[in-house]
Amino acid sequence: MADTNPFLPKSSSDGSYPTGSQATRRSPIKEQLTIFFGLLAVGLFAALLIGKNGSYNAHVHENKHGSLATSTTKKPETLGPVSRGPAAGVSEKSNRLSAKVDGNLLVYPWNNSMLSWQRTAFHFQPEKNWMNDPNGPLFYKGWYHFFYQYNPNAAVWGDIVWGHAVSRDMIHWLHLPLAMVADQWYDVNGVWTGSATILPDGKVVMLYTGSTAEAVQVQNLAYPANPNDPLLINWVKYPGNPVLVPPPGIDKMDFRDPTTAWLTSEGKWRITIGSKINKTGIALIYDTTDFINYERLDGALHAVSGTGMWECVDFFPVSKTEENGLETSVNGPGVKHVVKASLDDDRHDYYAIGTYHEKNGTWIPDQPEIDVGIGIRYDYGIFYAAKTFYDQNKNRRVLWGWIGESDSEAADVQKGWASLQSIPRTILFDNKTGTHLLQWPVEETESLRLKSNEFNQVTLQAGTVVPLDVGSATQLDIMAEFVIDKEALEKATGSNETFSCGTSGGAAERGALGPFGLLALADESLSEQTPVYFYIAKGSDGNLKTFFCNDQSRSSAASDVNKLIYGSFVPVLEGENLSLRMLVDHSIIESFAQGGRTVITSRVYPTKAIYGAAKVFLFNNATEASVTASLKIWQMNSAFIRPYPNDGKF
Amino acid sequence: MANMIPLVILQAAISFSFLPGSYSASNLIETTCKQTPFFDLCVSSLQSDPRSSNADVAGLAHIAADNVNVKATANLQQITGLLGGATDPELQKALQGCVDKYNAIIQADIPVAIEAILKGNPKFAVSRATDAANEAQSCEKGFANPPKSPISDSNKVVNQLSLVLQSIASLLL
Repeated sequence: MADTNPFLPKSSSDGSYPTGSQATRRSPIKEQLTIFFGLLAVGLFAALLIGKNGSYNAHVHENKHGSLATSTTKKPETLGPVSRGPAAGVSEKSNRLSAKVDGNLLVYPWNNSMLSWQRTAFHFQPEKNWMNDPNGPLFYKGWYHFFYQYNPNAAVWGDIVWGHAVSRDMIHWLHLPLAMVADQWYDVNGVWTGSATILPDGKVVMLYTGSTAEAVQVQNLAYPANPNDPLLINWVKYPGNPVLVPPPGIDKMDFRDPTTAWLTSEGKWRITIGSKINKTGIALIYDTTDFINYERLDGALHAVSGTGMWECVDFFPVSKTEENGLETSVNGPGVKHVVKASLDDDRHDYYAIGTYHEKNGTWIPDQPEIDVGIGIRYDYGIFYAAKTFYDQNKNRRVLWGWIGESDSEAADVQKGWASLQSIPRTILFDNKTGTHLLQWPVEETESLRLKSNEFNQVTLQAGTVVPLDVGSATQLDIMAEFVIDKEALEKATGSNETFSCGTSGGAAERGALGPFGLLALADESLSEQTPVYFYIAKGSDGNLKTFFCNDQSRSSAASDVNKLIYGSFVPVLEGENLSLRMLVDHSIIESFAQGGRTVITSRVYPTKAIYGAAKVFLFNNATEASVTASLKIWQMNSAFIRPYPNDGKF
Repeated sequence: MANMIPLVILQAAISFSFLPGSYSASNLIETTCKQTPFFDLCVSSLQSDPRSSNADVAGLAHIAADNVNVKATANLQQITGLLGGATDPELQKALQGCVDKYNAIIQADIPVAIEAILKGNPKFAVSRATDAANEAQSCEKGFANPPKSPISDSNKVVNQLSLVLQSIASLLL
């Protein structure tokens, strides 16, 4: 699953490179021919260069159906999208238009006004520099704790240590000193990701991965220096670290991110650690009684071939019936277990629902065809290294996810920071579909709501855009419902054509029954806009399939930001209206369809649609259906995330 | 004469013992480079580094990162030289933009990529290599017509070397 090259024509539909089979020894004749053709190629190259300026890396791609994409945009598409590739956390399955180097294709220089606008008001981020994975979230003595991978020295990954912040409500965060730094031989090359376990007596233990002086990945134990300190400012590393080293058969650099522990029926603690064997992603299982000595169980909790390295594995129970979270050790009838992995290969987080067999420490997916790594994703945008924890304060399971940047490194260096965390989300089993989890912003998010505007039963005829007058539009919480004209649904002709957000022409590609939704972070003239929308496709069998997409292709005039279209199929059940919740917070948009059944997080970097010039619109670009929309839109306050005050008053 | 034969055999044995070593090294380079979009550039740029004869794939990735760094550093010097003599404001703006982008490649992308390769967290190497390729392309796109890009070839080399790095680092995932 080698990364695709965004600058060359695709040679195969899945975008991967033909991997070289065994290299053959060239015969002398072959060698001479190679040299001859090589020189010929060089000559042709030179001719091309000297001639008219063509692009030196072709952007023309065939889409999955073998035809070149055409865009039916109202305005000419002059900006070639810059591919971030799968490695940057986005699906590579998108058409690209030919990107000629012409006079209009100027790189937009980022100025401080544009860059400082990008900082969010109510998403967790440190004051500056680089952040990645969420670590060890927990609730302890009245405080929510959040730790995170942090570079104290630069806006890029490196010199990784543990940052730390606390909050009463998971929204208003106060920065604390670094919890752990790279001061031991067993973590001198990186204090990497880990998880917390709260013991029945209330004690906290932390397991985390250290990258040693020899760059071996080992697991280490740490615990609060002073359990009476509710802020858990100081941490002690167990003097006998590491407590776990890579086992035989596991590469020394494929062994990281230990989970929260859960109890077995024998009263032992059990953890899982992700790894890989060749290209099979795997979750290793260990039992311990003291968090110091471990016995490895044979086999694995689970493994899926072809998925590559499993990072940040997570394993937790969900209730099939109750609307609350379950403590990590809970098991029994009425409980399903979720296995989640972050796939190194494509930078996406996948989960699957199944059954845990605790006797031999294995887990079987309910539906192997949508197993871990080949099925459902937490989020169809930028969202990685996610981790849940059980919040015993409010009896819920909460999910954190790392949201990276999708702009250029140069811009990150200029603005002095990179990355956000998602808004924390509660996780529940979706017992209506039985196949999905539901994610929803924690209820404390609503404490940020200020004044609201309501729009009832707004009819959007086919091909209309309606401005929503809400005042400022950079910090919003939007709840919307859409009802599409029933007659149009019935009358529309079905077709065999398969639709996917990523390979479509975005919000500008009109279908009979879509797209329709919201235009966020749009300027008055719509020269910049980020559509988030539904698209209903009707099959030749008459069945309707709904898709939920986020289109970045015209999100910014800048050419050095991600312009891909994210999204996925979203299950819509009989009798359900289409519902959408969207949090807009400067350079991040988080959108939740059908109560959180399908979620898309995207980073947006407008050059014009910022500050007072940013607006929000409703749109219906379908050709044959009118849509009725009802919405409530709140202005959102800042969370005033700042350092914990020295005088303790906040 | 009879004494010569063992000597000849010994000499032959010694000579041939070198072959498998270099054969498998160039074999790895070729196998690796076949999985990049620019086979010839990949092979020549790796082989020109003496470390490549003993390198595993991670080692080749490290060399590929160093290659980007060397070319990018040279480009930056070329760009700052041109900036010093530029009078056309459009040209100055484009060149200044390129300075920022090449600084990002040299000071951010490549060091992160190398650290990621050395520490076995290759996804960061892949993403920074992608970024480096984009920075070079972005620099090129900053030159409208007129003024034409005076550094088109240099940008292309860095772009392509970055894509080679991206592909090799992907093999480490």
